[in-house]
Amino acid sequence: MSSSALRAAMVPVMRRVRAYFAPVDRETETPSVFDPGKHGAFLLDAPPSPWLDLGWIDSFQRICATPVERLRAGKRGAPVAQFRGSLEARVEFDFREWGKLQLALACGSEHMNVLASDANADAQPSGGTPLAPIAIMPGSTASELVVGGGVVDSFYVNDLLVVDADYQQQIGYVGAGIAAAYVTDPMDVKRDPNYIRRVSFNLGRVAEKTATSLLLAQPLLGGLPPAGAGVQKVLAFVDREGGSFFQEWSALFVAEEESGGRVCFYYPRLSPTTPQAKASPKEDLVEIAAPLASLALRASFVAMPHTDENDGQTVVCYRSYFPAPMSGVY
Amino acid sequence: MQFAKDSFYMALRERLAALSPNRTVTLNGATRPAVIVAENELVIPVEPLTDAFYLEWGAARVVERQAGNHALMQMACLISYHTLGTCESGVDRGRTLTALDLELMSICQPQRTSKRDFTQSPSAYLGTNVFWSGLDLDEVSGSEGPSRLTQGSQGVRLERKARLQVFFFAEGNLS
Repeated sequence: MSSSALRAAMVPVMRRVRAYFAPVDRETETPSVFDPGKHGAFLLDAPPSPWLDLGWIDSFQRICATPVERLRAGKRGAPVAQFRGSLEARVEFDFREWGKLQLALACGSEHMNVLASDANADAQPSGGTPLAPIAIMPGSTASELVVGGGVVDSFYVNDLLVVDADYQQQIGYVGAGIAAAYVTDPMDVKRDPNYIRRVSFNLGRVAEKTATSLLLAQPLLGGLPPAGAGVQKVLAFVDREGGSFFQEWSALFVAEEESGGRVCFYYPRLSPTTPQAKASPKEDLVEIAAPLASLALRASFVAMPHTDENDGQTVVCYRSYFPAPMSGVY
Repeated sequence: MQFAKDSFYMALRERLAALSPNRTVTLNGATRPAVIVAENELVIPVEPLTDAFYLEWGAARVVERQAGNHALMQMACLISYHTLGTCESGVDRGRTLTALDLELMSICQPQRTSKRDFTQSPSAYLGTNVFWSGLDLDEVSGSEGPSRLTQGSQGVRLERKARLQVFFFAEGNLS
């Protein structure tokens, strides 16, 4: 092995960056952990649980704004020591694919499922009074919803569904598996039993039907239907400028390893924020052939702190590098 | 450079064998996947075989701002293929060409392979990857028939050329 070959393999070459997100336990602020030793070498199409593949992203930008302050002394005021100021790190990029998670993360606040509603219901910008939910029966899983014979006929292949519990007037985070909103006062949501299903991430699309159940194309995002869950049809997604809730997710970004070495960026806790550029658009147009263009979702996040248990340091992100098999060490 | 050319060819050949085992050619009595590097074959005055991918190498250069003692090179690759269809009337020649297009696009994914020395057996990993750009598919050109249409697609022989750029780190020092 010549030294030039060793050194050539030390040059990371990438084509695209792929984004994976996983929920943060909002009650305890516990992130999903990306352990490079356990999870680093995964196939990009098959991320390890609980990471969810949100597709290729564009314009990926990591911004470090943590200042380094200097302590100066002596007649000439030379620096004698350094320390880091307040931690500040951001991530910005474009989601190229639109889905529930991508939209919710780009929006940053509560992300609404527009439930199928009665034709006579009052019009509401995030969906009116919905049709009554149908109870999920025992034996259901994240991929198969048992609703019973007869009832199953009210659903069709390709229906988009939300599966979650009725709102029980509780205060706190709501949503099966993934915190979708925070209710501070039941009156805020008009004690609506459908409220959780309006914001829940526990969605799926019907791929097939049996005599009594619905088989989903992808497992429910939030996992098993909770006890007493109901299912309702979802017609669209709505997000809003405003809202008081902040999404918070763990994120992993992987640079495709064209030259052999893989680079990963792990953020234990990301929370949406405004883009650094003041007049940044919420959607970017990626021209296909004028006037055709694809719409990309602009997403901006601030990195929240995490304590590394190995040394107690407070950090906001991790960059890991998996060298190409025969690359030089330095 | 030769290792990069060999590695790219072997990647496409092995992927075609896995994707479409019946897409083969018989050359010099040997049946093999239908990926052919023209410059590696015997010089015999015969027309290119139908339903086979022919690779030809073009211009090469050092990529700017990447040179050091491990220069990144890029080299043009032209892949051409043609078909007469699978039935005597040739009415499926368009569909057959589309199938070849799809096969080529598929075997070019992922757009990288390890660079290996195939002059020894088993081949030896050389420590870096060969990677390439997306495919550009040129216009279809038809021949051997009436030519009243601009591209001649009335002809019984439909041909496509596809182009891409292959990137690799040079084996020698190029500072």
